[in-house]
Parts: sequence; structure tokens; C-alpha cells
Amino acid sequence: VSCSMAGEEGFFLEEKRFKQYCEDFVKHSQQIGDGWEWRTSKDLGDGYLSKTHFQVRNRHIPPDLEEKNNDNTEPTLFAHVEEPLDDSQAAGGGSTEEVVRYEYHVLYSSSYQVPVLYFRACFLDGRPLTLDEIWRSVHASYQARLQEGPWDTITQQEHPILGQPFFVLHPCRTTEFISAVLAGSQEHHRHTNYIILWLSTVGPVVGLNLPLSYAKLAPEQSTNPDSA
Amino acid sequence: MTDDKDVLRDVWFGRIPTCFTLYQDEITEREAEPYYLLLPRISYLTLVTDKVKKHFQKVMRQEEVSEIWFEYEGTPLKWHYPIGLLFDLHASNTALPWSITVHFKNFPEKDLLHCHSKDVIEAHFMACIKEADALKHKSQVINEMQKKDHKQLWMGLQNDKFEQFWAINRKLMEYPPEDNGFRYIPFRIYQATTERPFIQKLFRPIASGGQLHTLGDLIKDVCPSAINPEDGEQKTQVMIHGIEPMLETPIQWLSEHMSYPDNFLHISIIPRPTD
Repeated sequence: VSCSMAGEEGFFLEEKRFKQYCEDFVKHSQQIGDGWEWRTSKDLGDGYLSKTHFQVRNRHIPPDLEEKNNDNTEPTLFAHVEEPLDDSQAAGGGSTEEVVRYEYHVLYSSSYQVPVLYFRACFLDGRPLTLDEIWRSVHASYQARLQEGPWDTITQQEHPILGQPFFVLHPCRTTEFISAVLAGSQEHHRHTNYIILWLSTVGPVVGLNLPLSYAKLAPEQSTNPDSA
Repeated sequence: MTDDKDVLRDVWFGRIPTCFTLYQDEITEREAEPYYLLLPRISYLTLVTDKVKKHFQKVMRQEEVSEIWFEYEGTPLKWHYPIGLLFDLHASNTALPWSITVHFKNFPEKDLLHCHSKDVIEAHFMACIKEADALKHKSQVINEMQKKDHKQLWMGLQNDKFEQFWAINRKLMEYPPEDNGFRYIPFRIYQATTERPFIQKLFRPIASGGQLHTLGDLIKDVCPSAINPEDGEQKTQVMIHGIEPMLETPIQWLSEHMSYPDNFLHISIIPRPTD
């Protein structure tokens, strides 16, 4: 069992194209105030997309666990409250709201020739979320996928430009599903923004959502990467 | 050739004499003696320091012990880097034994990855091997292997079994007869002075005209400031496994013979000692 690699098929993302797609992405983000920016590294001139945002997390504290320390609570989905607060309060429990600061980076992997999503999260007091807390906060519908295979797994890795620990969504299968989407007329999809396609698919797994207006980034609005 | 195979063994069996000392602010029930150990250059700190952990835990109370981490002269040591790389990068021109400080508290979240179990080390090791094969063979060789072969690479490393490891690893060092080397060379270049942890780029072992690229070619392409022109004064050392290979060495040969078990060439560029 291993991950397949787009060696033979097309749909590699060359670094120049990656940069171009990111540029178009940032332009649109600026138009709609979505908060993405491009950061260039001072030494080598490579760079990455970056976005920071805050999410409110509702933690339901079952009454019997209220006395114990917080690690035993079950966090719910970010910004989506599954059970109404009233129920837990009626049952004698309470809930607290916590603000989590999320930082998302999109880097280019020259080894796999795909974009890779790095992220980290911390509470307002600076305490970073553990891998466990990250896993538990993944949307329920993606949890099965995460448990199944190593390909979609989230692991802690060193950020290749900043040198600090980040969580990473394993890029192994990226080319597989991108190919599936882009298969069909290559002509028609020639100028589809790979970054938007990819990020709209992997982002939600880790709480990152793209407003629908990105889908409207029509070929004529994006720069032709081949002319770059 | 016999000589080339000897290089493989010399790389595998390289050791660094190390003295582990408990951090002075750790709370102990009695005095903690330093612990001496020969560390394998090709392995990882958290894989080979169980005895170190046990030794210091004996003089500490259970509640004072949290995840172990290591530091050298104030710098937290990244366990996910091979030991030989850490030594070459931080301490190669200092007196032996290498003095490492052991901590059990205040884990530096901003600097170090967590390592809660051997599974984490295995996952990291295998991820590096897979990335190296993506570069060398478009992942074809690693993907053709069975899970038990992958396991054998890890067990060979974990149990210090050269033959067991190379029985499988030799396949990762082959290339089609019509080519003269790998597609790209898996390498990372490290300098302690930069914020960027390492430089990694696509680099072909064979030039378009068919000549073999050398170590010098690689450095010039990736890190030109490290090699000064022939005005004599070579301010830096280009070090792999504690030695400075000649810059004329073909990079394909270096990749086949001086990679770490993760199949990467981890190269340190360090200041040349002035004495």
C-alpha cells in the first residue's frame, strides 16, 4: 500500500505556475477582503501564501467532568455548534468559548511538485494546540478519512522556510485527486487556478474555508501563466 | 568495488562520544551523574537515548518528568535531524566528548517537534525516504516495494543492522541502465547562521552534455556565497559525516555512498576554524 505519484501523468504544478496562481489568488482575496497575503523570503526569493484568522470554539463541559482539568473535554466543531447550548446547560453542564488563532501557509514542494498546506493554532495566551486537539477539531465527516490512511494524515513538521513546528496535511495524494478533477479536456481546464481548486478541497478538513467567489475567478480574469 | 563498500560501512558505523548532563534547574532527589554514550551518527536522538532517560529519571520524581528534550549551548537540538548532522552543524570543531544538556521541563514548543513515541520517529524517517525516492525515481522504486520492505528499512536503522538495512536500500540506489544517475539528487544544505533551516532544490546529477555534476557544482548553484573564488581564503567548510569531501567528487557518487539512511545528503556549511 503506497501513495501513487504523478510521475507519468501530467498535472505537475511547476514552481513558476504556482507563483502565478498564488498571485491571482491574492489579488482576488484582496478584492473580497479574505485576508491572504504573499510572503517572500529575504534570502532566496521563494515564498508562500499566508493567512491568519481567529475562530471561536465552543467547548461543552459535561457536568461530571467540570471539576477535572480541561484536557478531558470534548471540543466541538469550530464555529459550528452541534448541540444547542441550552441542552448542555439544562443537563447541568456549562460551556466556555475559546478563541483560537489559526495561521495557514501554502508552500510549494519541489520534491512532489504540489502545493502543501501548513498550519498552526494557538490559544490567545500563546499555548499551542496539540496534535491531538487538532485532530479532534477536524470536522466529523473528515475524521474517518483521517483515520483510514496515512496519505491524508496531519503530522507535525518543521516549516521549511521559518524552521518552526507546524502541522501539515500530507501532500502524497494531492496529485491523485487533482488529476481526477482536471482529467477531461485539458484545454478547457488549462487556466483553472490550481491553488483555488486544491485549497477548496483540502482546506475544509482543517477549518479553512474559501468563499464561493473564488470559483468565479474565470480564465480571462487570471493571468496566463504561460506568458509569465 | 571494495573501497566503495567500505565507505558505506564507515558511514553506518560512525559514532560520536557524548556526555549527557541534566539541566541544573531540574528538580532531583539526589545528585545526577553525567551519562556517557557513543551516539550513532546516522540515527536520531530520541531513538538512541532510552538509557539516558532512564538514568536521569532514577533521580527525579515522577511528577517532575515530562517530555525529554536536548540542548547544546542554549540551542534546542532538533531530534528529527540525524545526530551526525547536529554535531557537524553545531559542534564539529569543538573538543570531544560532545556535551549535551538534558531537559524534562519547559518543552520549547516554538523550536522542537514533539516526539511522543517511536512511531513518530518511524513516520518521519519513512517520509524522508519517500521524498528522496520521489526525487530519484519519481517514487517508482519505493512504491513497488512491499510494506515489509519498508519495515525492514526502519528495523535495520532501529536495531543498527547494516546488512538488513542495505538488503533493501540498495534498490533505492539503483537507476535504469540507460541513465547515468538519479533524476534529481536528494540533498539539504544547512547553515547554523540562517533563519531558514536548510536549502533544498531540484538538482540533476548529470549535466545536459552528459558530464557528472560535482559537489562543487551543487554548492555553487545552491549556496554560492559558501565557496570563495580562488583568492585562496576558504572561509567555510563543506562537511558531510564529519569530513570535507573534495569538491570535485561527483554528486551522484556522494548520493549513493554518503547519504544518510533516509537517503538524503545532509550537508553542513560551517565556519572554518581559524587556528
